[in-house]
Amino acid sequence: MGLLDFLKKIEPDKKESPFLHTLFDGFFTFAFAPNTVTKGGVHIRDGMDLKRLMVHVVLALQLCLIFGAINIGHHHFASIGLYPGFVEGLHLKLAHGLIKLIPIIIVTHLVGLGIEFYYAAKKGHAIEEGFLVSGMLIPLIMPPDIPLWILALSVAFAVWIGKEAFGGTGMNILNIALLARVFVFFAYPTTISGDEVWVSNIVKDGTDHISAAYGWGHSFVDMIFGAFGWATFGEGGKAVIDGYTGATPLALASKGGWDAVTSVYTPSQMWWGGIPGSIGETCKPIIIVGALFLIGVGIASWRVMVGMLLGAALTAMLMNSMAAGTEHLFLQVPWYYQFYMGSFFFAMAFMATDPVTAASTQRGKWIYGFLIGAIGMIIRVMNPAYPEGWMLAILFMNVFAPLIDHYVLESNIKKRLNRA
Amino acid sequence: MELFNIFIKSAFIDNMVLAYFLGMCSYLAVSKTVNTAFGLGLAVIFVLGITMPINWVINEYLLGENGLFQTDLTFLRFILFIAVIASMVQLVEMIIEKVSPALYNSLGIFLPLITVNCAILGGSLFMVSREYNFGESVAFGLGGGFGWFLAIIAIAAIREKIKYSNVPPALRGLGMAFILTGLMGIAFMALMGIDPAVYTGTK
Repeated sequence: MGLLDFLKKIEPDKKESPFLHTLFDGFFTFAFAPNTVTKGGVHIRDGMDLKRLMVHVVLALQLCLIFGAINIGHHHFASIGLYPGFVEGLHLKLAHGLIKLIPIIIVTHLVGLGIEFYYAAKKGHAIEEGFLVSGMLIPLIMPPDIPLWILALSVAFAVWIGKEAFGGTGMNILNIALLARVFVFFAYPTTISGDEVWVSNIVKDGTDHISAAYGWGHSFVDMIFGAFGWATFGEGGKAVIDGYTGATPLALASKGGWDAVTSVYTPSQMWWGGIPGSIGETCKPIIIVGALFLIGVGIASWRVMVGMLLGAALTAMLMNSMAAGTEHLFLQVPWYYQFYMGSFFFAMAFMATDPVTAASTQRGKWIYGFLIGAIGMIIRVMNPAYPEGWMLAILFMNVFAPLIDHYVLESNIKKRLNRA
Repeated sequence: MELFNIFIKSAFIDNMVLAYFLGMCSYLAVSKTVNTAFGLGLAVIFVLGITMPINWVINEYLLGENGLFQTDLTFLRFILFIAVIASMVQLVEMIIEKVSPALYNSLGIFLPLITVNCAILGGSLFMVSREYNFGESVAFGLGGGFGWFLAIIAIAAIREKIKYSNVPPALRGLGMAFILTGLMGIAFMALMGIDPAVYTGTK
């Protein structure tokens, strides 16, 4: 009990310094379960409190994070023509990915938790754990080279306007992580769309793209790798090999349909995730494992997931039958291949199922999921302005989720009254 | 198919409230509960759907150079459109008062204020500037009204939900409604840019 005694001794006084006490309390409960119970939480279902629930989601995301780090490195090296196989030069790829990813994670948490701590101290309640999940999700849906100040702005916007204005964790209407991404998407579109943003450390030099010089982080890991006698990064500044575009499968599909996609990527490559994209969205099997884990521990709703699958599949089939014999190549992409491209599974597993912003009635969840699937597919295929639809489709349905709940409840009341 | 496209476009893609920010006053004021919002939304659909074709006929056969008087009377457009809208709103008011007195009471002053709801006049003026024909103006009126209806019941459901939230005191009520409208505008940008005509083969 040495640690507990020590922590109790340094606990700041709640009256004298409320901010320090809130800060202390937030980290104290990581190490020890408090002997008080959650008051006024939003997820009162069983003995699982908010913090444990959030930690489960964060756990489910860890594999995506590691894979994302390797994938960043893989595309960096693929663009300059080194280590073409996915597992070749793995230590370099992982190191490069982590050097890109860790600052993103740190900035997200600093800004998000900073605002959260400030409001917790100001309103005089314990720190709400809501940001743990958003803080893990936001890095996974950003491109690897996002400027950190833009990231900080977007996180501040999402947490401030999207959450604290509504009264804090569990009361937001729109998904925080998606709100941060949509802010970047509309305010700084060049940093998050196009073919060049998905490959890290590439700059345009005159007429050609070259890889930028590596910074001190790379020199530092070079020193360690050199000592072991492994391959090192070197100086950087190599030319991007001919024909490498970094275009995502969806960007290709919107131009030339499925044929254009398969001329660059194979279906298995897309399924296993060796494609450019946002950091955590590409590897489908890992995301499905995460989704099954979330269903298993009872956090994510399988109704939303199945509804979304059905909605997307039916819409895509409808498009297939509509477009047969016309010149709309994107509409003709076979419906089952639509699931190989883009971030459908990530959105399904981690975004749409957010228990706060989703519809909360059972039948409402089916409707909510189904409509996300349908609208997301419509935006992806039919809207030339946006490359992918799930972010906006989920935000769109977040707006309508309370309405769906309202009418489901009303019809339930009516049914009961009729039965009575 | 053309008419269907205009309906979809005016309801979802060029939404009156969330894309043009028209008709905000009653949208913000009467969106506290879903039931009143539902009633007002239906009234707006009705008024838009009726005034649009009437105004189309007036604009085409009374005010145009080839109209009844053979002179260009388009400077009278605003005043005549408003007169048509006002009389239609009177009609709606009488119907609602007769059919559902409870709704009539809860809508209060905002029912006659549909007259000066900018979405209604805005719809008629859009119709003129976009040179719709008769059928298209009916579709545009119904679609625009439906979009307005969707927006107001959605925000009303959200506002019913956040009644139980711990919203900072300074933002309660109208402040929150403004923030919500902005966020809903972001969400509605999802559909902006889709051109249904490309896919239905009419273009």
